[in-house]
Amino acid sequence: MQSTICALASGQGGAVALVRLSGPDALVITHTLTAKTQLFEPRRQTFCPLYDGKNVLDKALVTYFKAPHSFTGEDVVEFAVHGSPYIIGRLLERLCQAGAVLAKRGEFSQRAFLNGKMDLVEAQGLCDVIAAGNKAAHRLAMSALDGKLSARLDEIKTKLTELLAQIEVRLDDVDEEMTPLSTEFITQEISVVLAHIKSLTDTFSVGRLIKDGVKVAIVGAPNSGKSSLLNALVGFDRAIVTDVCGTTRDTVEETLEINGQKIILTDTAGIRSHALDVAEQEGMRRSKRAMEESDVILFVLDLSRAVTPEEKQLWQDIQDTHKRTLIVLNKSDKPSAGTPNLADLSSYTQFTVSCKKGDGLDALKNALTAPLNEVEKDGLMISNLRHYEELLRAQTELESAQLQLAKNVGGEIYAEHLRGALTHLKDLLGEVTPDDILGVIFSKFCMGK
Amino acid sequence: MFTCSKKYDVIVIGGGHAGCEAALAAAKLGAQTLLLTQNLDTIAQMSCNPSIGGIAKGQIVREIDALGGAMGRVTDHAALHYHMLNTGKGPAVHSPRVQCDKKVYQFTFKHFLELQPNLDIMQDEAVKITTSDGAVSGVLTLRNTLYHTKTVILTTGTFLGGTIHIGTVMTPGGRYNDMPSNLLSKNLSEELGLHLMRFKTGTPMRINARGLDYSKFRLQPSDNPLQPISHFTDVHEQQKRKFLSCYITHTTLATDKILRENFQRSAMYGGNIHSQGPRYCPSVEDKIKKFPEVTSHPLFLEPEGAHTEEYYIQGFSTSMPEDVQRALIASVPGMENASITRMGYAVEYDCSDPMDLLPQLESKIVPGLFCAGQINGTTGYEEAGGQGLVAGINAALKVQGKEPFVLRRDEAYIGVLIDDLVTKGVNEPYRMFTSRAEYRILLRNDNADLRLMPHAFRLGMLDIAYKPAFEKYRALCDTLKANLQAPVTDEPDLFPWSLEKARAHAEIHHKYEGYYERNKKDAEKLAEVDAIKIPAGFDPSSVRGLLFESAQKLREVKPQTLGQASRIPGVTPSDIQLLAVHIERFRRLKHVANSK
Repeated sequence: MQSTICALASGQGGAVALVRLSGPDALVITHTLTAKTQLFEPRRQTFCPLYDGKNVLDKALVTYFKAPHSFTGEDVVEFAVHGSPYIIGRLLERLCQAGAVLAKRGEFSQRAFLNGKMDLVEAQGLCDVIAAGNKAAHRLAMSALDGKLSARLDEIKTKLTELLAQIEVRLDDVDEEMTPLSTEFITQEISVVLAHIKSLTDTFSVGRLIKDGVKVAIVGAPNSGKSSLLNALVGFDRAIVTDVCGTTRDTVEETLEINGQKIILTDTAGIRSHALDVAEQEGMRRSKRAMEESDVILFVLDLSRAVTPEEKQLWQDIQDTHKRTLIVLNKSDKPSAGTPNLADLSSYTQFTVSCKKGDGLDALKNALTAPLNEVEKDGLMISNLRHYEELLRAQTELESAQLQLAKNVGGEIYAEHLRGALTHLKDLLGEVTPDDILGVIFSKFCMGK
Repeated sequence: MFTCSKKYDVIVIGGGHAGCEAALAAAKLGAQTLLLTQNLDTIAQMSCNPSIGGIAKGQIVREIDALGGAMGRVTDHAALHYHMLNTGKGPAVHSPRVQCDKKVYQFTFKHFLELQPNLDIMQDEAVKITTSDGAVSGVLTLRNTLYHTKTVILTTGTFLGGTIHIGTVMTPGGRYNDMPSNLLSKNLSEELGLHLMRFKTGTPMRINARGLDYSKFRLQPSDNPLQPISHFTDVHEQQKRKFLSCYITHTTLATDKILRENFQRSAMYGGNIHSQGPRYCPSVEDKIKKFPEVTSHPLFLEPEGAHTEEYYIQGFSTSMPEDVQRALIASVPGMENASITRMGYAVEYDCSDPMDLLPQLESKIVPGLFCAGQINGTTGYEEAGGQGLVAGINAALKVQGKEPFVLRRDEAYIGVLIDDLVTKGVNEPYRMFTSRAEYRILLRNDNADLRLMPHAFRLGMLDIAYKPAFEKYRALCDTLKANLQAPVTDEPDLFPWSLEKARAHAEIHHKYEGYYERNKKDAEKLAEVDAIKIPAGFDPSSVRGLLFESAQKLREVKPQTLGQASRIPGVTPSDIQLLAVHIERFRRLKHVANSK
């Protein structure tokens, strides 16, 4: 039973990226992202939306190659998507959730070779790739798991090993002399391990933010000063700024560094419900998308005028995204029209700024990177998708163990899940042979014959 | 020198639990076999506890039985007391244990051997294995007799360079009052180049039941109803037999005090023993030293036979001097007035590094030489028997020019045992536990027949007359596994199986639904890599790009399959990926070369 593997097949950074999925479940996994009824004819490109839950992740060109007529000789699906790190990362994440595993370096070629799709000369090159990958992965694993993170993972592993040992020793207790462990105790111990793992998996989004940058969408009504804010933050005139409403029709993206962190600012077209101009409507569609893709939303309001019905609608849309939102009250240099009349606005962090004069911008900049700094203090986070996936799988196993415990099943059953969780930690950290368990057993328990 | 004119296919050196199974198996498969033992009256001797089975060990006995071995049948014949262990837990960890009459056990086994066609038994001590072109050619005995043979199976137990310790008194011996094999040990290390290591094990004192105060013991009666350990025993007939009881007592603070005051006088702590003993079968002085907070340890009194008053005291293994052992007995409730009949002792012996073996238990150093049992660093009658069976089968297959028989980790505890030995080696006497098995849900007591009998029929280890009943039983199980309520009827020609057994099996299977499949799926992945053989002439450690440590490990272990390579500690998934490509490349290059 071969696994189904996935990976980015093209380089990163281009306008279009190619994600490849290969293995017996390729088509089944693909259908978890598309409409169930979506047909894929072999070797024909299909243009269709890929869903991330209810939302559209991207519209992609999807090509299905039926085994054996594919690069690897297995069932293959290739996704041509927009080259954004977010889309690529999220797509791989979704594929893994649906049962695929991330391909090792050279693994597509390896399968191609083993399935007779590649000759001996090509295979030599393949060996070099795997060998380089072997060393690089080893180095990467060493550096990525260096220090505090590996220490924390090791702590979790030790805790789990000890719990499992306590359960295993009772399964192997020859004379049935040992006091049984209570369900409450085991549940509690698993909860402790789970909490540790969750505290790490929770950092994944932050970890990825640091690696890939924080996506910030600047939204607001036309002429509220979105482009001015972008320019003020970036420090030079990047977007076209005029006094005519709706000047920014396209989204403008700018990458900058604030407090040592990578921030990707997106200035969106002003949202105006009666915009008739076709180009402007297209711009607004993009704005909505920018909001959905963003990690943080900056809602810009013009302090010098009253809130419009359009802004009320926009505010509703923003709240519906449930994203981290900062309120920017712009044009503090002009006479104020009073506190904006929007529901719940006061429960959000607000910044009064003047883009024109540069007042209040530092506080806003610090707020943008604040959550990242919090994580930095502890230094522990997961930024590697593979590490994240393994931890998530361990987490699922532990949750299943608790579920089974609640059903009052035998120790050998929930032990299966704890063993599963330990295997995932092992894959992250290196070998935990069953002998580790026996080592703990013998050092902690007096076992007669 | 006398040279025996008969040329053997297989010579088994040693008549313990490994040797007996090995000899029977080889002869059963048609190999002309000779069993050499120092003393025919100690054949299949239970040198330590008078019981067969136990946690995980009971499963091994069931596996030996399903593969056509004798241990299970002999056990049922000699049974004094049945106990299914772990019934408070799930059926995957239920393990049968049977107390046996030691004398009945060994004479029954001896009789089995005597009746086996193709098998000769000879009382003599092997002192040298002769070779020709580096491969086994014969065995020379103490009487200066030379036997020609194609293969040898070493099952030397604790006899290679054996030393007995009671306190500071040291005497040569493989068992108390039995001479060690010192010449053979020298031959193995100095002439054949085996890597010998030194291990230690021990046994408790035996006492006379006369004078025991049973009112101070807890009674442990035999199970009623019982479950025979062999698949072939008629449960109704077995149920009619008379059984004995075991008793439970415990050590006291007085026991504790005696041990503490005399630590330095034990062979273990007095400095006479340096070799590694088993952590899980500690002597009572070990227990006090390592777990000072536990002030009372359980002791089990097990009858040594139906025609003797001797009891074995499980949990009281010791190498203390005689006066201390006497005081220890007097400190236990119910034993105050009991007299010791045999002293407890520790024994040190040579074993050979099992990493020098192929998975079929043949030496990589000396072709034709097989090793099984304690010589491979294991302890336990059952672990020995399982290896003996596999070595016997493989010696016969080698002589017949057939492919070796290797059990996978998902097929049998015996597979787990041998794979662990040859892939990871040992640093203390190895005992089986269910926690060593990744596929614990698959390796059960109730399905040993379904797992392994197809192998046994194919090999010729089981009488083909059983096959129709087995196939019927298997079909019945499949029907009930698909639907527990399926209409089925009991058939008389199912014996030794029954509808009752099939129902019990199907119910257990249902209990593990989901988990069985989960284990099976993992096992299939393993079977895939285990099916990729590392071809002859291909040196995995020479592959460019492997991590340095991995290459070194691969050189040491010389794995036979990609699966075995993947189980070597420290070898990474990328290493295995690289090896997979290189093996395929090697195969194709060879194909190209051959077709030219």
